[in-house]
Amino acid sequence: MLSCLLPTGNYALHLLAITSMTMVHVLGYNVIFGKGKILHFGPIAVSLASGYGTFVTLTWTGSYLLAVPIGIAMAVLLSLLFTWLSLRLEPDGLGILTIAMHQIVLTVVLNWTPVTRGALGLPQIPRMPWLQSNVALTSAVVLVATAWFFLMLLFERSTYGRQLQALAEHEWYAKALGINRPRLYLIAFLIGGIGAFITNLFYHQYLYLVHPSDFLFPVLIFYVMIIVAGKPGSTMGVALSTILLIFLREELRCLPIAASVLGPLRMMLFGIILLAAVWYRRDSLFPKKRTI
Amino acid sequence: MPLLSVSHLSLTLNAQQILKNVTFSVDQGEVVGLIGPNGSGKTTLFNVLSGFLKPTDGSIHLRDADITSVSPAQRAKLGIGRVFQNFGIFREMTLEENVLVALEALPKEQRMLLGNIKDVVKGTLDMVGLSQHAKKKAGSLSGGQMRLLEIARTLKSGKELFLLDEPTAGVSPKMTKQVAELIAELKKEGKTVLIIEHDLPFISQICDRVMVLDLGEVVLNGKPKEIKHDKKLQEIYFGADPTA
Repeated sequence: MLSCLLPTGNYALHLLAITSMTMVHVLGYNVIFGKGKILHFGPIAVSLASGYGTFVTLTWTGSYLLAVPIGIAMAVLLSLLFTWLSLRLEPDGLGILTIAMHQIVLTVVLNWTPVTRGALGLPQIPRMPWLQSNVALTSAVVLVATAWFFLMLLFERSTYGRQLQALAEHEWYAKALGINRPRLYLIAFLIGGIGAFITNLFYHQYLYLVHPSDFLFPVLIFYVMIIVAGKPGSTMGVALSTILLIFLREELRCLPIAASVLGPLRMMLFGIILLAAVWYRRDSLFPKKRTI
Repeated sequence: MPLLSVSHLSLTLNAQQILKNVTFSVDQGEVVGLIGPNGSGKTTLFNVLSGFLKPTDGSIHLRDADITSVSPAQRAKLGIGRVFQNFGIFREMTLEENVLVALEALPKEQRMLLGNIKDVVKGTLDMVGLSQHAKKKAGSLSGGQMRLLEIARTLKSGKELFLLDEPTAGVSPKMTKQVAELIAELKKEGKTVLIIEHDLPFISQICDRVMVLDLGEVVLNGKPKEIKHDKKLQEIYFGADPTA
């Protein structure tokens, strides 16, 4: 059990890979949900579209040169759609609609069996030539996640980051200064979309599999929990929270508990963490309604 | 040509007519007061002028450009600055960031003219004596300080027309004096100010002209001295004299 608690060898490599991959997607989503305080619950829909876009193309053509642009295009398309919706709907309406969008994309994936193989998923995903070993893939993903982290840190401290925060705090006050909401939302959703694409690109190569169960609602809950616990909008906080919560999630496997109990136990524990984090940040989680 | 021309502006919200055929103009460099009882439509008129509400009828021109359907952000870029009634600052941001975010939202050409942006931020906070709080969150300031920060930030953003909604509300007499000085400074620079106020002596002191709004209509428009003694103003504020 001790060797499990203190990760070494392949297990340490696995933890590093999973943490880095998750971090890229969560930091991208943090720009929308944390910094912009946009009630967007559809990051997994973007993930689904770009993931299946990439790997269905790869399965059919065997070429990453074709698959990668298709994956990016799918992420961008869905991000554009969410941007458009976010500019036309009230926050609560957007929240509900993005959940519905997630379900719609998932339903398409599950039922368009000739293309997606439905619930069976896409097995035997080949890795890129230079990512054949786990060490190579992990090194690449750690490098990408580090670069992404610094990019997000730069964004947070940039004009765009400040303007997005201003919009999140009070839309009218921000607009009265000349802040352009459509442009900022577009940038935020595109960052989120590209983050989703990068994570998918590595994650499914790592598993050699694309499976619909990787795109279910609990994944979104886990992402939301990471952001809320790490302080919404804070790149540093969310990065740390990703490391800690993934470590906790994986380390729970070391406990001498039956798998049938461990699953629900983990969900309950995460529920409690989310509850505590929301309670702790109840005053700053979403902008207060202020009159003008 | 006037800087701002408002022509036959009407607004109906939830089947209630809030503004009725409002027509007026403001010349470059003028300081115009907008007074009227609560619910007369003053802030709503500002919301229409800054683009947050779309008028049902009528038009708004800034110089010769029709801005009636222009977005609030675009109006800000065209030179309309707004100070809100309930402190339009970002409380979760530091004072520095509050000024910075306003300067960064300026059109590029205008931003270039400012020179070193850090110096402008420092100068803005110095102007209202808040530089020692530069790194503090704006939410930790007193009401008066928030007001000064908002006005200073708007003034430094190089606007042409300033819409100030009750800038002295919740501000101490000392700070009210500071606000008056800032507005006088604007006038000296040839800027145009439209100001909503309830403080009649303050309005008389700083304005070239006063408009009185009642039930969504401009009922009086003239010099402060003339307006002050107008019977209609007394009626609007205190009701009709039963002995008259």
